[in-house]
This record gives sequence, C-alpha cells and structure tokens, in this order.
Amino acid sequence: MGHLVATEVRALVGLLDELDYYQLLEIDSTAQGSQVKQAYYSASRRYHPDANRDLEGEISGHVHTISKRITEAYQVLRDPRRRRAYDAMRDEGGAARIQLVDAVARADKQARDQHEGTTPNGRRFFSLAKHDIERGDKDAAIRNVKMAMTFEPKNAHFKAKLAELRGA
Amino acid sequence: MAEIAIGIDLGTSNSCVSIARGGSVEVLPNAFGESISASVVAFKEDGTVQVGNAAKANVIHDPMSTVSSAKRLIGRFFFSEEVKKAQAICNYKIVEGPNHSVRIQVREEQFSLPEISAMVLREMKSVAEEQLGQEVRKAVITVPAYFNDNQRQATKDAGRIAGLEVLRLLNEPTAAALAYGFGRGLSQRVAVYDLGGGTFDISILEIGRDVFEVLSTCGDTYLGGDDFDDRVIDLLADEFVSQFGINLRGDPYALEKLKLAAENAKKGLSQEDEVEVRIPDIATDGEGNSLTLQRIVTIQEFSSLVMDLIQRSFKVCDEALQQAGLVARDLDGVILVGGPTRLPLVRDSVTQYFQQEPKSDVDPDEVVALGAAIHASSLIGGVEEGDAFLLDVTPLSLRIGVAGGLAETVIERNTPVPIEQARAFTTYQDFQESVQIKVYQGESRKAEDNELLGQFEFGGFKKARRGEVQIDVTFEINSDGLVNVTARDQETGQQATTEIALSSGLSPEEMQKILEASPAERVDPSDAPEEASPVAPPVSEEAALTADDEMILSEPSDEASAAKAKVDPNAETGHDLKVDVEPRDLSEPLLSAETDPTDLDGLEIDDDLFEEASVDLADLASADDLEE
Repeated sequence: MGHLVATEVRALVGLLDELDYYQLLEIDSTAQGSQVKQAYYSASRRYHPDANRDLEGEISGHVHTISKRITEAYQVLRDPRRRRAYDAMRDEGGAARIQLVDAVARADKQARDQHEGTTPNGRRFFSLAKHDIERGDKDAAIRNVKMAMTFEPKNAHFKAKLAELRGA
Repeated sequence: MAEIAIGIDLGTSNSCVSIARGGSVEVLPNAFGESISASVVAFKEDGTVQVGNAAKANVIHDPMSTVSSAKRLIGRFFFSEEVKKAQAICNYKIVEGPNHSVRIQVREEQFSLPEISAMVLREMKSVAEEQLGQEVRKAVITVPAYFNDNQRQATKDAGRIAGLEVLRLLNEPTAAALAYGFGRGLSQRVAVYDLGGGTFDISILEIGRDVFEVLSTCGDTYLGGDDFDDRVIDLLADEFVSQFGINLRGDPYALEKLKLAAENAKKGLSQEDEVEVRIPDIATDGEGNSLTLQRIVTIQEFSSLVMDLIQRSFKVCDEALQQAGLVARDLDGVILVGGPTRLPLVRDSVTQYFQQEPKSDVDPDEVVALGAAIHASSLIGGVEEGDAFLLDVTPLSLRIGVAGGLAETVIERNTPVPIEQARAFTTYQDFQESVQIKVYQGESRKAEDNELLGQFEFGGFKKARRGEVQIDVTFEINSDGLVNVTARDQETGQQATTEIALSSGLSPEEMQKILEASPAERVDPSDAPEEASPVAPPVSEEAALTADDEMILSEPSDEASAAKAKVDPNAETGHDLKVDVEPRDLSEPLLSAETDPTDLDGLEIDDDLFEEASVDLADLASADDLEE
C-alpha cells in the first residue's frame, strides 16, 4: 500500500465527478451488500489518508478527496433507501453524485409518491384497485394493481400490495 | 534511531501509555512500576508541579491546588451543565475565561484545560521516554468516541502543548477493539462497552481479517465511574448531616476524604459483599469534639444507588445497536473497557443485556492504550499489507444553523469518515450583506440543544436581491473526527469578513503564546496551529473560468486547494473554522440544480415537502427553496 502512482491519482480525481458510485467502487450496479462492503474496504485500503501518510502536497490532497468520495459512495450504496433514491436519479440521467441528506429526502419523497403512484395512469389504476379492495373484490384489485404496475414497474409500494393481495 | 510513536490513553481518572514494536505491544509502567497513573495535577506551594499517583495522594492535603478529572471540562463552554456540575463537586476553582471558555485557577494563576491535560500527557511522555531510553515525539491519543469537535480540538491542542505530534485522535472503543483483535485474524462483530471515569461509549464494530470497521458508536459524556462515587458521597454526606447537622461538602478537606472513601468503598465492593467506611476526625462538633464518619455499605445498597446509571448506559446501547442495524444476538463478543467495568454489578448487568459473557482476556485499564500504540505504530510504518486498517465513524450529526433557531443536518451521525458534504445557501433578504454561519454537532433540530462548534460571519456580497447570492458551504470531517467548514461566495473577487469563535478554549494567539513560552517543548512548525482567521487571496480569473462547474461546487479546484493550503498550513487537521473566498463564474448553475428533489421528471412538486424548510431559512435560505 501507499504506492499510488501520481498520474493515476490525477486522472482519477479529474474523472471523479463523472464516475458514478458503482464505477468509483468498481462494482456492478447489481452488487449486493457484502460486495459493496468489500469494495469499500479495498478502495479505502488504497486511498484512505492512513494508507497514504507518506504523500505530500497536491497528490495528498487529491487522495484525500478521492477517499472522501469513496466514503460517500459507500454511505449511499450500503443503505437500501439511499441507494434506491440514487439509482432512480441515475436512471433519469442525473448527476453521478448525491448529497447524503438529499438522498434521504429523495427516498422519503419517493416512498410517499410511490404510495399513491408517480404517473397519472399508475395513480388511476391503483386508486381503482383500492376501491376493489374496499368492495372485497380481490381478483379485480389484483388486476388493477398489475395494470398500475405496467406504468410503474419499479414502484415498491405497488409490488408490496400485489404480494399482499396474492398472499391473502 | 528508529522512529517511534507511543499510544496514550488520556483518561478522566487514569492515564496509560504503551508502545508497539517488533510485532508485540506492551504497557510502559511508571517509575514505581505502576501501569496506570492518575490524571491528576498538583500545584505545590513551592511552585513545582506534580503529576500522577503522587499528585492524587496530595489532594487531601491541598484540595484547592490539586486538579483532577480535567477531562470532564476539556472543550466545554463555561455555561454548560457539566461545568456547573463540576463546580459543585470540585475543590479547585473553575472560572470563566475568554469567549466562554473554562479556566482553572490555582492560587493566582489561571490555566486552560488543554494546558492541564498537557501536563498529564507530558508525564506519560516522560514515563515512556524513561522506559524506552529515547525521546518520543509522536503519539496517538485516545478520546471518548462521543467527544465532539470542541473536545477533540482541545485534546489535540493539549498534545501539541505537551510537545507531541498527535498522529491521530483515536476513539477509545475503537482502540480497544484494535487491541483485542490484534494479530488474531478474527472475523467477528463485537460491542465495546466502555465505561470510564467520566464518560460512557458503546461502539459496534465489524472486525475483518485486516479491516476494523466501526458500524456505529453512541455515548454519554456525562456518565462514568465518577458518578458512581458521587452517589456514595451523597449517601455518606446526607447521613452525616442528619446525624450531626454538619455538611461535609462545605469543607474541602472533608470532601476530599469523602471522595477517596467513596472510591475505595466502590472498589472494595468489587470483591466483598460489604465494606466499612471509616473516616476519623472528619469534622468537629460545636464543642470541639472530633467526629468520625462510620458506615457499612452493602453491595445491595450500592446496587440500588447506581442501578439507574447502569440502566442509562443500556439505553445508549439500544441506540448503538439500532444504528448498526443489529440486535444483541448478532454479536460475537462483548469487550469491557474502563475501571468501573471491573464491578461485578456492571459485568452482570452487561452479561444480562447482551445475553453473553463479556471477553475475559482483555484488561479494561490497559486495552485502550495498547490499541493506541498499535495504531501509532501502523501510522508511522505506513499501512502494510496485513496491518489492521481502521474505518471509523463520526459520533454526532453535523448541522448548520438556519432561521427559526433550528439546525439542519448536513452529515448524519455514524457516517464513516473522512467525508465531505456541501450545501448551497443564498440570501434571504434583498441586499442582505452577510450571513451568519453557525455550525453545530448534536441530534436535535433545535439549534440550542446542540453543541455550537463555531460561527462566522460571511459577507461582502455584491448588492443583490434575495436568492441571487450563492454561498456554498462545505463541511468536512477528517479521520480524527475533526470538523472543517469552508464557505465560498460564488461571486468573483469578493472579500469575506470572518469572525471565528473559539472552539477549543484556546485562541490561536493564546496557543502560540503557550508554545513559545516553552520552546523546548515545541513541536515541529508544520504541526503548529495556523494563524487566526485568514482570508484566502482570490485565485486567478483563469482558474475560475476553466474550472469544471460540478467540480468547483463540491470540491475546490486544484488552484483553490493551493490557495487554501497557503493560508492553512494544517488543512488536514484544521484548527478553527475557516472562510475561504474564491471567484466563481456567475453563469454556473446552482449546486441545488442537480440535487433538487423537485427535479425528478414527471413529478409534481410536493409543497408540503418544502413548507417546513422554507420556514427554517431566514438568514440562510437554502437555494432549493428559492429556486422553487
């Protein structure tokens, strides 16, 4: 350790805002919790200030910057809520980076939105489904939740409702 | 001679020093062969200063000039609860210094807390030097995990005053886990239950083959063995009042005798079911007869006196487990740290709470110093393959003050460090000339319930309507757990006015004076505190124009870093809050443009979401809200 190459560090710091967290940690976007952790460990061993005390000046600052971004990436990807919010932002072509408190706020908003639906059609069918549930027509409810899900396939609340209806 | 670095456990009641060399680690005993020394400083009448166990023995002879438990006061504001509590129980004089800091007055002289702690550190340094036969200049010093930035800064200052280059402020439970796992190749989840003389910490760690990751840490800096003693003191003193009508607390000499007796009673109850407290000549009655305090204290009685304190520690444990996303049965081990954990009462309660016996192969008095030494050695050697590598967290949420007396979270507690986060703010009123930036640590949305780390006025904006000025505030927490805050105006060529509050109880000027007063103790200049409140020179026009906009929003550009480095020789450890001003291309978008929750495609703006926030922001308005 502590044998980082200056040119490599400069290149990485220059790319930092373009790399998403998965690229930064060198993992697949489907990586599970333990893989995220292992990636964080090995990236930290490489860039953590403790591993680079011998560096000085500009390069030392760069390594510090990278280390802080690695921590941020881990803090977002290790937490399912923050990660979902980040993935959604990424899917929409957003920035590679999200501030931690924004990730939380976004996740909260996401959860609230998903409760009713995020698209007009999703909302419409889901509200029909809720009527069906009140009337006790489970089959109709399942059909309408499924319809809602064709518009919002990633809606966790819809998914959960469908599972609940099928289980009941 | 090979470079060496020691580990020092700077405790509330006792301190311990240790060294790791050649693959083994050992405690360095003092001249009397004792592995721990009392964190007590005695100022003798002849002007000499005594530190350690001998100083502790001095307390009954000269209670007003013997300073103990200074750690309870370090980094505190004079108006804090802890200081009031200490004033009630301490015989030495606690007075107010500049900027609400705490000073200790001994005879005619006043000392800051970092100076007192430096005396203890210097003693530990010389214990090590004596044992090792060579000069020691570098050390890792441990702090309670739950110490806030003010307390950490002050401790670091103490190290510098003592002539030490502080390689790292290491959290005590983390140090303990490091010593426990050292060289064992473990793969475990452990809880470190650290009940010290004055503070309680609980940390949950995941120990991998070569990585020690702290999952969560929680604590109470108002809970420790001292509190156990206080309960016994209250029992004895109250009974003496009802028996003889004499309040022993009013007499410094009697109070010190009581304290010692209470501590001994507590220790005695570790082995016996009951102890007898007997203090002859503790007071004289109205007729001049000498009175003796005599009382048998049983373990049941003691248990009922302190049980609520122990229960309080478990509330904190609940929190730590919850933050780590674990339950007690997920843990592979429980490590006990701190003298009070020797009490069977504490051990049994911990066993019951965690549903397992704590590890018995750990010495609760020495383990923290051993861990500090291991870390010190790995830091001077660079991290080698196979060396334990530490990933720690920040114990407290970092917040920024907003209008309405509220404090908004910027970095949540238990976020790993080092970390940097940025928030964009703007002015709330037309032609507002400055904003007051207040930085807090704590878990309350109400600003006043948190610890104020520092504040500065940031101004010199161009004349502009509300929302037109953009201020980026960057918050950094480094590997020492120290906080650095930087504010940047987006405007080209603006000057900033800065007002920096004390954070460690010593201003940079005072610190400089102290260091100059003892040139022999002086550390190398690179470790000296930086000058007060510098304003960075504006960087070149070119730099700002060519900088990548996303980059400059969250990270200073290379040029900006260089400018910052000029005024801040100690950027990594950061002493006080700093304000940097740098020019910025006006055409650049606001930071919030990327992170604004309203920017989700196809979503309606949820007014409720913002209603709360916009009430918060008067002086400082979040750019998110104004854009909306």
